[in-house]
Amino acid sequence: MVASGPHRNGAARPAVMSISQAAASEAVDGRSGSEFRRGVMSCLPVLLGTVPYALVLGAQARQKGLSALELPMMTGLNFAGGSEFAAIQLWTSPPHIVLIVAITFLVNSRHLLMGAALAPFLRHLPRRKAFAALFFMCDESWALGLADARRRAGANVTPAFSLAYYMGAALAMYGAWVAFTTAGALLGPLLGNVEPYGFDMAFPAVFLVLMAGMWKGVAAARPWLVSLVVAALVYLLVPGAWYVAAGAVSGLASAWLMAGDA
Amino acid sequence: MIDMATLLAIVLMACVTYLTRIGGYIVLRNRALGTRATAVMEAAPGCVLISVIAPSFVSRNPADLAALAVTILAATRLSMLPTVVIGIASAGLLRHVMG
Repeated sequence: MVASGPHRNGAARPAVMSISQAAASEAVDGRSGSEFRRGVMSCLPVLLGTVPYALVLGAQARQKGLSALELPMMTGLNFAGGSEFAAIQLWTSPPHIVLIVAITFLVNSRHLLMGAALAPFLRHLPRRKAFAALFFMCDESWALGLADARRRAGANVTPAFSLAYYMGAALAMYGAWVAFTTAGALLGPLLGNVEPYGFDMAFPAVFLVLMAGMWKGVAAARPWLVSLVVAALVYLLVPGAWYVAAGAVSGLASAWLMAGDA
Repeated sequence: MIDMATLLAIVLMACVTYLTRIGGYIVLRNRALGTRATAVMEAAPGCVLISVIAPSFVSRNPADLAALAVTILAATRLSMLPTVVIGIASAGLLRHVMG
């Protein structure tokens, strides 16, 4: 209910409460160091799943002929794990540049939606800060930042979006991603296959907890079900990374249509 | 050692990815949303998240499906860290027991 901004819910609350809330939020925002730490801490469980995934990417990239200098350039400049896995799968020597860039766009096209969902919460930021913050927007930092902004908006805290919290989560993710993909490239063949140990389940686990936090009842979750069914079918039937775009777009289309019924 | 074709591929990947990151923000930054657009934006995060993890729901490995069911149950009741630990442990255990 709060995606369009923190202001709508505020009017109905008693004035006394919003004044004390505003004072509390000022105190919180004055200590951006503690907000940054709060962001880093909330990202730690996510890193449990990311570290093995990063090591595997580094090891695979090394096998495909990328050097231990080229790989951190990729993970540091691009910083989008899904597209990096896809690129490494498709990597040849020399690389097929057009194919790799097109697949990168396809896998990362979900960022367009993610940035759009975050945009209403970034209105209080100067454009320069917003553009810098968005460089670090990955699935995890976006989801943590947005979930936190919605929670704060629900509690009438302004601004709902805590930049320091978001950057704490995002930089923890960024540092771990670049460091551990590099470690994977250096350690390479020593690692073997980590999948049997179950670390890959951390990724769905994180996303499911975030979705549980966004739960607003069965009716509001119907588009999610549409997304799940379409994404799963496309994943099974169509090769490549189309399933993310297909699932997201069909879920949004159903949200658009259902909004007309209400 | 940095190969020029590799460098070009990496720089172009980074440019395209950054454009996807700022694109949605640039388009929607100064725009008020209507009812339908608001409904779409409210559904968007969940739709993206569930689409990314959809392959886990159609895994051919029964152990993975069982571990996913355990993880979903945990996610509805517990906070982030215990859910992630339960997810990893159940996937690891069930793959050894059932696989």
